[in-house]
Amino acid sequence: MLVASAGNVVVWMVWIVAAFACLGSGVAVVSFSSPFYSALALIGNLGSLAVLYLLLNAEFVAAAQVLVYAGAVMVMFLFVIAYIGPRSESPWMGGPGWQAVGAVLAAGALLVEIVVVISLKASGQLAHSEHVDATFGTPAYIGRLFLTDHLLAFEITSIVLLVAAVGGVILGAHSRRSPEEVPSL
Amino acid sequence: MNNGEPWWISLIKAGIIVNLVMLAFAYTTWLERKLLGRMQLRYGPNRAGPFGLLQPIADLIKLIRKESFFPVAARDSLYIAAPVIAMFTALAAFAVIPFGAGWQIWHYHVNGEIANVSIGLILLFALGSVGVYGAIIGGWASESKYSLLGSMRTCAQLVSYEVSLALSVLGVVLMGQSLNLVEIVNKQGATIWFFIPQLAGMLVFFFAVIAETSRPPFDLPEADTELVAGYHTEYGGMRWGLFQTAEYVNMITLSALAVTLFFAGWHGPWAPLGPLWFVLKVFILVSIFIWIRASVPRLRYDQLMRFGWKVLLPVATINAVITALLVVWVH
Repeated sequence: MLVASAGNVVVWMVWIVAAFACLGSGVAVVSFSSPFYSALALIGNLGSLAVLYLLLNAEFVAAAQVLVYAGAVMVMFLFVIAYIGPRSESPWMGGPGWQAVGAVLAAGALLVEIVVVISLKASGQLAHSEHVDATFGTPAYIGRLFLTDHLLAFEITSIVLLVAAVGGVILGAHSRRSPEEVPSL
Repeated sequence: MNNGEPWWISLIKAGIIVNLVMLAFAYTTWLERKLLGRMQLRYGPNRAGPFGLLQPIADLIKLIRKESFFPVAARDSLYIAAPVIAMFTALAAFAVIPFGAGWQIWHYHVNGEIANVSIGLILLFALGSVGVYGAIIGGWASESKYSLLGSMRTCAQLVSYEVSLALSVLGVVLMGQSLNLVEIVNKQGATIWFFIPQLAGMLVFFFAVIAETSRPPFDLPEADTELVAGYHTEYGGMRWGLFQTAEYVNMITLSALAVTLFFAGWHGPWAPLGPLWFVLKVFILVSIFIWIRASVPRLRYDQLMRFGWKVLLPVATINAVITALLVVWVH
């Protein structure tokens, strides 16, 4: 299913559609005036990213992306936006000068990267494709990596999530009770 | 991915299965009204056709012919898209459910499922989590306060019970040692039906399914007298019909998932009937859902939330932990 195994027209077509959907929805996120539509575009962006993962043999990551990000996380976004109400803001109010400089620098870096990759590809230095065996990207494979090579990162992430959950509970309890019965944070 | 099956067979099979699921949906509504009627000492529908068998068709014609009204302030494209999203995700989820062992027809091998995906279970849950958007977008795009509050309620309910639903099947995944539904069924055929060792998981799964499909006693979107229904308050005609269809198709799909995970799918206790066993088990589960609807009154919203987070979630978590310990111990 790798894109590198060229000649497969379907893979190319899916890749092109997903890549353009990814770019288009990314632009849509920042250009809609209604935050609800922006959030919907972000769901589209995450979904098309999942398709790109699928093309890279990462079925589990693609499904997890849809389940966790496009599903659970974005529901919360929409939830909050729908509660806050129909407040439309113009997408670009003109930020501080350093923002524009930063944007130009980031775009320049991206351009350089694209040029380098295309020239490497043209000169044939990217011709060899990585060998991928059948277990690559399966849940068992990813699970083994989590519990061996990336154990520290995995555990730190779990602590960060736990802190976020406890923080959410404290904030929720804080706003629900009257000021005098809440201990100061 | 589809071992040895040409793509056009998968396509034909998908077409057949979609239509069978829709037919099953139509006659689930008939069965529900008949069974509810009998349980309440009345006849149920008995005018359209023999035993009221044409009732679902009459309902369909009625819904399609109704005036499709539109709130003036509604956001058109999203308002129309919402029921479509709900319907699409509900139907697509059936693709990974295995219903037979596979057959040799002429000189083609036909698999007993539409798509044999290595992560079928996660894919099914991912589709379910996308299906929530049908409710939230529908409620928001109607531009009505009742719809919006109803969609908030439904989303909170669906998101809460999704957690228990996913955790309750963890025990099955650990015992089957796979996320592939075909492998889980085969494992049960070779060893033991998982509802025996996973009784707690099955009960949590069952309650979570009732809540996920907004069936009584968790049917807050239907409480039109006290809660002004829910996210579909401003929907009428076949648009409302699509939401309703999605709900029933979800019930059938999740019943089929329960059969797959806990009752060994197409395997029977005796006689190799294959798909007939599968259909029979799904039919029994759906009937139990209807029976519950006739027996239990609706929960209040806070009771619903408390039950989900304080009863189902701890039970599912403890069940998963104990199963993990036992699986490690046995190996």
